[in-house]
Amino acid sequence: MALVPLTYTFRSLLERRSSTALTVVAMGATVATLAGVLALQQGFQTLFTASGREDLLVILRKGANAEGESGFSRDRAEVLLKGLPEAAADADGRPLTSGEMYLAVRRPKEDGGETNVPIRGVQPQTFAIHGERLRVVEGQRFGPGTDEVIVGRSLVGRIRDCRLGAVIQLNTTPFRVVGVFEHDGPYGSEVWGDADRMSEALQRPGFNRVIAQVVPGADLAALQARLDADKQVPCKVMTERAYLSAQTGALSAVLLSLGFVLALIMGTAAVLTGTNTMLAALAARTHEVGVLLAIGFRPLPIFLSFLLESTLLGLMGGVAGCLMVLPLDGLRTGTTNFNTFTEVAFAFRITPTVLVTAVVFALGLGIVGGTVPALVAARLRPTQALRRE
Amino acid sequence: MPWHLIARNLLAHPVRTLLTASSLVIAVFLICTLRSLVVGLTAGVEGAASNRLVVQSAVSLFVDLPLAYQGKVAQVPGVRQTCKFQWFGGYYQDPSNFFAQFGVDADRFYESYPEVEVLEGDPAAFLATRAGCLIGRDLTRRYGWKVGDRVPIKPTIFQRADGGAWEFEVVGIYRSRTSNVDDATLFFQHDYLREALEQGAASGPPGVGVYMVTLAPGADLVAVSREIDVLFENGPQRVQTTTEAEFQRQFVSMLGGVPTLLGSIGGGVLFAILLAVLNTMLMAGRERTRDLGIIKALGFGDGVAFALLMLESLLLCGVGGAIGVGLSLLSAPAFRQGLSQMVPGYAVTDETAALGLGLSLLLGVIAGAAPAWRAGRLRVIQALRPEA
Repeated sequence: MALVPLTYTFRSLLERRSSTALTVVAMGATVATLAGVLALQQGFQTLFTASGREDLLVILRKGANAEGESGFSRDRAEVLLKGLPEAAADADGRPLTSGEMYLAVRRPKEDGGETNVPIRGVQPQTFAIHGERLRVVEGQRFGPGTDEVIVGRSLVGRIRDCRLGAVIQLNTTPFRVVGVFEHDGPYGSEVWGDADRMSEALQRPGFNRVIAQVVPGADLAALQARLDADKQVPCKVMTERAYLSAQTGALSAVLLSLGFVLALIMGTAAVLTGTNTMLAALAARTHEVGVLLAIGFRPLPIFLSFLLESTLLGLMGGVAGCLMVLPLDGLRTGTTNFNTFTEVAFAFRITPTVLVTAVVFALGLGIVGGTVPALVAARLRPTQALRRE
Repeated sequence: MPWHLIARNLLAHPVRTLLTASSLVIAVFLICTLRSLVVGLTAGVEGAASNRLVVQSAVSLFVDLPLAYQGKVAQVPGVRQTCKFQWFGGYYQDPSNFFAQFGVDADRFYESYPEVEVLEGDPAAFLATRAGCLIGRDLTRRYGWKVGDRVPIKPTIFQRADGGAWEFEVVGIYRSRTSNVDDATLFFQHDYLREALEQGAASGPPGVGVYMVTLAPGADLVAVSREIDVLFENGPQRVQTTTEAEFQRQFVSMLGGVPTLLGSIGGGVLFAILLAVLNTMLMAGRERTRDLGIIKALGFGDGVAFALLMLESLLLCGVGGAIGVGLSLLSAPAFRQGLSQMVPGYAVTDETAALGLGLSLLLGVIAGAAPAWRAGRLRVIQALRPEA
């Protein structure tokens, strides 16, 4: 069975240049919109989960789901900080544990409005725990016991007074910004300072959570069970990675479902227009199809030829969509993570997942949109098709 | 002017016309829905009362104010009434069943919030019942609660000593006449919470999140705010007094890029559909070359040829747009119900409907312009020449 030559398909697309271009760009716009939403979700997810560590534990009060809800008094926290056999130790034998005070405070944004910026009071061991993941890129670390803070680089330029040398007032105490730091994870949108000084300024005597780096091979399940049942300090223990992905569940789900609903609705519209274009193309080429049939091509090759044409349109649309969405890569935006009610800054990330999804989606649109017109073409009768108006 | 030709032309390819109109319907529906989402997210700002101020911690949304502040605020000249508002943050059965609960002063609540209207139950029962609560009518729809029910709410902030849920008795169902208060909130007596905390039956922060201040008639908003702020300037907790609208705007501002994101999606949809309709109209124009030649040969002017295509485009887009707007209006109650948890203010406003219709007509003009212009300039000789 002879197939319709591929050149026929290419020539047909080229023959109707303006119509092909319009269809491709229209499909591209649809694909780009969806890819944009997906890129946002990817950027958000990378920020939170890619940086989560398996050997770092987050310990919260039992019943709390986020550090904002959690709380330990100082003496209870001491029990965890000093008495955790699984905790790793530094060269001097001190345990790699740190109590953290956390509060989302109001800060004015540079472009107007207000948002909640996480403030984290940390203990000296924090720097040893985070190691290379936390890099001070400007200025220096805050001094222990001083009214100094360092700010995450994501805040610079977006939140007022988050720059080297500026002063941030917490309740009635002014804190001086002595450094700007980068962190691979969400900590890059936070302000860090000395736990004791911040506790005093904000009148919050306790710690919100305790973090602990564990020795390799520690039995986490046993540790979790033990601390969960602890009479004195019942705790919820999670790895940092598990904690961070739990914090982003809601926003990630919203973005994914938004993407899914849009894909469904816009996809339907795109399939309708795709069908339309192909039907119109067919109407203009009925005569040609008649000729093809008359010179001996069977209906199946004609069906395949039209389907291929539509699939090619979809492919081009997919590529166009990817090209349209590429400039978004790295573009930063911010919103509130409604799991924690704090501001997070993150970037659009055009990952291979985004591109592959976009192209597959576009191909799907092309195939679905081309099926009906291809069927119509294949079922034409040569005599009908060749009849001149 | 051969009016019937416009309809005939549209019906000449019923399948294609239907497809174009349908994609338009979908696009307009999507745009109206996205806009309604943005409207819903920002609804609180619109309905805010101009005679109410909000006193909250200047430091953080999560820091409470001491109970003693209420008396001091009430002394400020120009303040008519104060009412506690304490965020409870609980949930019903499962954390996904989330809605707002506030502990308020039962004896001052109605005076502070005249827009709240009790539909069922006795308004006075709210004050008389210690564990009583008022629930919004959306909550009765969502969970099937009615007056007299005891509702268990699990705490996240205020843990009970017995480890269990709090129980509130529904004494009334309310609706709000303005959009600043949504119909999906549970209001309970703050005294009930305070007593439990004082007696050790529960643990949690003892203070109050915000005080709502109602101004006396003629009081100066700015002066009163400043006076309240100055009262606590040196601690222990600095306060920030804002208008209710400003308070709501803080939450909208927290959304950050979300409204822009939804707007861009709408823009993408619009662009894609514009190209699709343009494509359809260009093809229609090309196919109609011969017909137009005949029309002109019969003596109709260039204007008629232009108008034929332009009106066809306008009719196609107008009908598609109208159906799209109609669908979004029809689906609004369902969306409102489904989204009442996340976007309680979802509403397809008149402006949204007008925008949807206006945009589709604009699409019609743009899509019709090129083929109509070409039709107007068409020469009879060219148009009637048989295809090579």
